[in-house]
Amino acid sequence: MEISINNLTHNFEVNPERLLLDVLRQEAGLTGAKYGCGEGNCGACTVLVDGEATRSCITPVGSMVGRNVTTVEGLTAGGELSSVQQAFVDESAFQCGYCTPGFVISTTALLLKNSSPSTGDIKSALNGHICRCGAYVRIVKAVQKAAGNPDHGTSL
Amino acid sequence: MNASGEVVLRIIGPPFSGSVQQTGAIPKSAVLLEIASDGSVFAYSGKVEYGQGIRNSFTRMIASTLEIEVADVHVILADTARVPYDRGTTGSASTRTVGAQLFRAANAAKNELAERKDSDGSGADTDVVEIEISGDEPSPEEFTRLTPHMGAVRIDGADRVTGKAVFAYDFALDGTAYGSLIRPPSIGAKLVRIDSARAAQVPGFIQLVQANGIIGVVGETKEAADRAVSFVRTRWDETGDDVSDWSLPSALKDLGSDPVSLRDDGDVSAGLSSGARLISGVYYAPYVANAQMEPSAATAEWGEDGSLTVWCANRGPFTERAYLAEHLGIDAEKIRVIIEEVGGSFGTKSQSVSFEAAVLARESGRAVKISYNRHEEFSTSTVRPAALMEIDAAVDQSGKLVAWDYTAFHAGDNAFRGRRGADSPYDAPATRIRVADSPSPLPHGSYRSLGGAVNHFGREVHIETMARELGIDPLKFRLDNLSHPRYRRVLEEVALMSDWESRESSDGVGYGLAVGFDAGSYVAQVARVVVANGTIVVERVDVSFDCGQVFNPDGAINQIEGSVVMGMGTALWEEVEFDGGRVLNTGFGGYRVPRITDVPEIQVKLIEDPSNTPTGVGEPGIVPIAAAIANAVADATGKPVDRLPLQPQISAFSS
Repeated sequence: MEISINNLTHNFEVNPERLLLDVLRQEAGLTGAKYGCGEGNCGACTVLVDGEATRSCITPVGSMVGRNVTTVEGLTAGGELSSVQQAFVDESAFQCGYCTPGFVISTTALLLKNSSPSTGDIKSALNGHICRCGAYVRIVKAVQKAAGNPDHGTSL
Repeated sequence: MNASGEVVLRIIGPPFSGSVQQTGAIPKSAVLLEIASDGSVFAYSGKVEYGQGIRNSFTRMIASTLEIEVADVHVILADTARVPYDRGTTGSASTRTVGAQLFRAANAAKNELAERKDSDGSGADTDVVEIEISGDEPSPEEFTRLTPHMGAVRIDGADRVTGKAVFAYDFALDGTAYGSLIRPPSIGAKLVRIDSARAAQVPGFIQLVQANGIIGVVGETKEAADRAVSFVRTRWDETGDDVSDWSLPSALKDLGSDPVSLRDDGDVSAGLSSGARLISGVYYAPYVANAQMEPSAATAEWGEDGSLTVWCANRGPFTERAYLAEHLGIDAEKIRVIIEEVGGSFGTKSQSVSFEAAVLARESGRAVKISYNRHEEFSTSTVRPAALMEIDAAVDQSGKLVAWDYTAFHAGDNAFRGRRGADSPYDAPATRIRVADSPSPLPHGSYRSLGGAVNHFGREVHIETMARELGIDPLKFRLDNLSHPRYRRVLEEVALMSDWESRESSDGVGYGLAVGFDAGSYVAQVARVVVANGTIVVERVDVSFDCGQVFNPDGAINQIEGSVVMGMGTALWEEVEFDGGRVLNTGFGGYRVPRITDVPEIQVKLIEDPSNTPTGVGEPGIVPIAAAIANAVADATGKPVDRLPLQPQISAFSS
């Protein structure tokens, strides 16, 4: 099956019931999306599918044919961090960083739809994500910072 | 030699500065820093980066001291083949011991390089020069000089936002096989029968392994191994431990050992009976899970010479190596443990996954990777010990404590965990502190501050309950009975931050205070909560924090905010439910942890007193928070609190 991942067409010969997260990590070698719970509960596996934040750990890969999948690796155009990525670094919006790709992806999806989200919008968009290190205060700041940057999302 | 270019200068010395309480094979001298002919610098430490930012701190202070780019500094952490021995990354001690020592090493290198320039102008010695530095306790001045070199923005941040950082869960070798384990349905269950005939027909099946108490399947892919496991049929003889999460509080006391006395000052019995008022309480904190975001994972590969290499995530590569050597029955020198990026730990990430991978690899003759799923993580990982705490305390007519009698029963046979934070800072002339251990139905282990947060919950809730019963303001009651200046200072500071004197509690709105000490640091917190419609919302937490000198204020505040958030989970929702030797809530659906919508406004004030040398930052922030929130909930509802977590107790009695 042909799936576009980070603007490259991949051809996978896999069972269409396999989960997108497994195919990304094991077949495409993209380990930016993380396994956290396997139930769509923690958000660590989040990727963009046609610009929508999607839990790859509960998404059958067969449903991705003809869709555009973007992982956190795909946000870095020409080696430059996207404005969302840069804001997470600048605000130290992480500790261990395991959940960070998921937060970065959902923030990117939020800002694609809503370029000036309120704090409530931000929290609501990210409530499906768990950061066990508890960097939430900084994550909100990072999203606000990224939203204040007119260049956000240009790498998509 | 580790450096890629030719080493021209090498700094050696003890890997830690000061009187670190370290046991084991601490070398008197080891290679700490090397400078290569191309100018690149390599530094070595057995500490692990698991989110606290030590790679950033170490790199920045070396680069800044030597006035070179951070890209030219390579801090090598936690690889037993490359770094000096370390007991493990615990006790919030990395920066003040190893960091300070590497700073000393960088300064020695700087002085040597400057001298060379002065002497011959070329610095082109052909032989490597070795300089030995001392491991003396750093002076406050040394720490003061270190501070401006730290820098806030994490040098490893870009790798974390782009997916480049390789965690143990991401690590893979070419040609690795994958393991999937068959676990007993409950703790202590014995295998009676196993049928793997159909599993062997699954494409990619390599081998069923039964060895060293481990049952698992090795497959060419993770999917093949998991699928094969789903075709294995087992029958077990379950012992069915009687204790459940409901009966544990009484079991802790009934089955507990004789308490060990940690302190016995004055005549406690006389004090308790002579006081104007005796107030008693019994408090309970259940098992909680570390529930770090990255489940356990490890890859193991055996060499033809019987050597073993393990790539994993753990807080101590050398303790991991010792565990593997003991359990595999091989010489530790034959084992190399390499710690990859660690996706959170807080105290867990047990050695078991490395051991399991090593056994499957040995039996199958392949390199094997094992990565737990979330249910395995919840059902097999070590948990913070539950505890029952009994407190009897007496005050005289003026509200002065005259006697404090504290007995805690902590689950598990590791006395050290339960003892941390058990002592009382209050001035009661008769004080007795006793801690007992009790059989633990679940595998128990470390957690942020070990038992510190548990003991603080009991003590600080009791203090506030006493103040309320005596009709004394909780801040005044503490200050009246607490002469230690650093405790007083954090209390007075947090009172100012929270505008304590003019707070207005009402039905459903409450304020709670708690004070604590852990890893050498003092911390006071005020929580403001709203209880409405059967739901507790923590609106604001003020934190005053005294860890002496501060190297990196933003990194410290990040750790303190994280501690507040983590401790808030234990206050409101977290409890590992279990029955008959099996954990019942094994996912984030059943085990509720704090999310972004739960997070209060958090204000942190660092005292930053230059006259006190730096102390721990990663753990102390968690010790008072559960009590502060519990006290605020009691203030809001008018009902005393005696156990955690709080939210289920509120929900159960609301319509």
